Amino acid sequence: MENVIEARDITKVYTLEGGLEVHALRGLDLKVARGQYAAIMGPSGSGKSTLLQILGCLDTPSSGSYQLAGQEVSELSEDELSEIRNKRIGFIFQSYNLLPRATALQNVALPLMYRGTSAKERLQIATKSLERVGLSSRMDHRPNQLSGGQKQRVAIARALATDPDILLADEPTGNLDSKTGVEILGLFQELHEEGRTILMVTHEEDVAEHCEKIIRIKDGRVEQVQEVEQRRLAEFTGAIP
Amino acid sequence: MLLENVKTALEALFGNRLRSVLTLLGVVIGVFAVTTTISMGAIATAGITSELQDFGSQSLFVVVDFDNPQAQRFNDDDIEALSRLPIDILQQQSTGGEIRFEEESSSISLNGTTANAAEVDRTLELDRGRYFSQADEKNAAPVIVLSSDASQELFGDTVDPVGKEVAVSFGDGSRVFYTVIGVKKRIGGALGAFANDVSGDIPLTTFYNDVPGVTRGEYDFLPITIDLDRNANDIEAQVRAILDRRRGSDTYTIQTIEGALSLFNTITRILQAVLGGIGAISLLVGGIGILNIMLVSVTERTREIGLRKALGAKRGTILQQFLIEAVVLTVIGGLIGVLLSIGVLYLIVAAVPFLDRVIISPAVILMAFGVSVITGVIFGVWPASRAANLSPIEALRYE
Repeated sequence: MENVIEARDITKVYTLEGGLEVHALRGLDLKVARGQYAAIMGPSGSGKSTLLQILGCLDTPSSGSYQLAGQEVSELSEDELSEIRNKRIGFIFQSYNLLPRATALQNVALPLMYRGTSAKERLQIATKSLERVGLSSRMDHRPNQLSGGQKQRVAIARALATDPDILLADEPTGNLDSKTGVEILGLFQELHEEGRTILMVTHEEDVAEHCEKIIRIKDGRVEQVQEVEQRRLAEFTGAIP
Repeated sequence: MLLENVKTALEALFGNRLRSVLTLLGVVIGVFAVTTTISMGAIATAGITSELQDFGSQSLFVVVDFDNPQAQRFNDDDIEALSRLPIDILQQQSTGGEIRFEEESSSISLNGTTANAAEVDRTLELDRGRYFSQADEKNAAPVIVLSSDASQELFGDTVDPVGKEVAVSFGDGSRVFYTVIGVKKRIGGALGAFANDVSGDIPLTTFYNDVPGVTRGEYDFLPITIDLDRNANDIEAQVRAILDRRRGSDTYTIQTIEGALSLFNTITRILQAVLGGIGAISLLVGGIGILNIMLVSVTERTREIGLRKALGAKRGTILQQFLIEAVVLTVIGGLIGVLLSIGVLYLIVAAVPFLDRVIISPAVILMAFGVSVITGVIFGVWPASRAANLSPIEALRYE
């Protein structure tokens, strides 16, 4: 099976004011195969946020090699990273990060604008993407007219719109009540079954247990990769309360 | 992408309507002030110049310089000497007095002049009645032609002055009666609009008979009208040459419309510079307002910028987005300012009688517009580059 993520001996050192060096990652190795559904867990300070930033091409490692979908990205410039993020990565944030003044449809179409897709095509793709997450009746709503779960579904639709190699979700259920959280996890499960690669950062064990694998990070290294024996199952109803 | 960014900018500006309008205000006022003052100067100059040139450019007014104790009044020999030139000289004398009709009275400037004044003085037109004739002059007839203002003072709008008898009294207490035979038209244009000309013309012969203490054949001033096909400057030089030889160069002065015009132009230019400067300052203040609001906007939208970058926006794209926002703001402000200015200029020209047409040069509009765009770019670059240089990680973390 082809690896979407292949990180080898990744380090990340931050120099604080006053010259103090913080080693956030200390030679981390990680492989994520295409189609995999995995959770990253770790105590705070373990380096999981830094890892997600590097895996998301928002930052580059201090040393080591990072191949994303076969392309070495550890030494790209800022603008090149922007392009990689746009093409290969779909971000899903804990706080959704939707543009408040834009409609659901415009929000989903936004990343397509940065790759120069024509306005007409953007609209078609965004419509399809919103249909996929069950929000075809909410396309013209603005974020403040949507519930938390609906907002996260718009964010997922936005991540899907660019057909990325990997979905990176940072605490995607963190701001949701447990029932809505399960609904979102159900959506992830469906996307996984459709063949999407999903990497999710969470600190909740029972959320992580929806994945196939749990990658545990500690002190800037992968401490353990654990297969989930008894996966929790969630169902996506696509209901609009 | 450019089009998208313009759209995004417009959406952002519309999303914050009140703030955008308040920010615009500085630019609107600046552009309005600059455009209006410069155009107003051009309009006023054109209006007054064309009026003056209609009748004034071919006239000289030679006055005895009474500041010089050696100076003597002009006499008939001077007129004789000057009459070789292609000019007409009016023999004129002037004095002050008081004029009365029934209960109304007014101080008046009384001119004794010759019957040909009606032909020679190109500014002289009659509103009603007639000018006095050669016969009146010969007979020293007790007739008077009133200026428009004089007629207004004595008779108002309702009474027809022609045929009425008015009394004129002089400084020594003597009093004479004249019959009004005509009323002059108010002088058109800039001069007429500003001047309050309460005067009356009587035949020079009558003047000599009636006015106490006047010497026949002596003149305080000589109004000279130059033939239309002659160059006024050449004639002026010839007049000077003749008078210098006869009387000495420091005994008289020559007043020309050109002199008045150039003084007027100087004043206009100074006013334009001062008011334009104030306009430019308000444009600068407007620019700083834009700078301020753009910085606030960048800070407020830090998360949005982070998100856009995370989703694949490059530095240039973000830079462009915010720069366009600033420029759109100034362009709209400039547009409103120019339109407002055009509207106000039309109003002013409609309201002020001697301004005959609105002149708005494309250069002025282009300049006002260009300056506002440049203001947008200059004051937008810094906030925009701040936005473009934000790290997406920190921007997304920003609360």
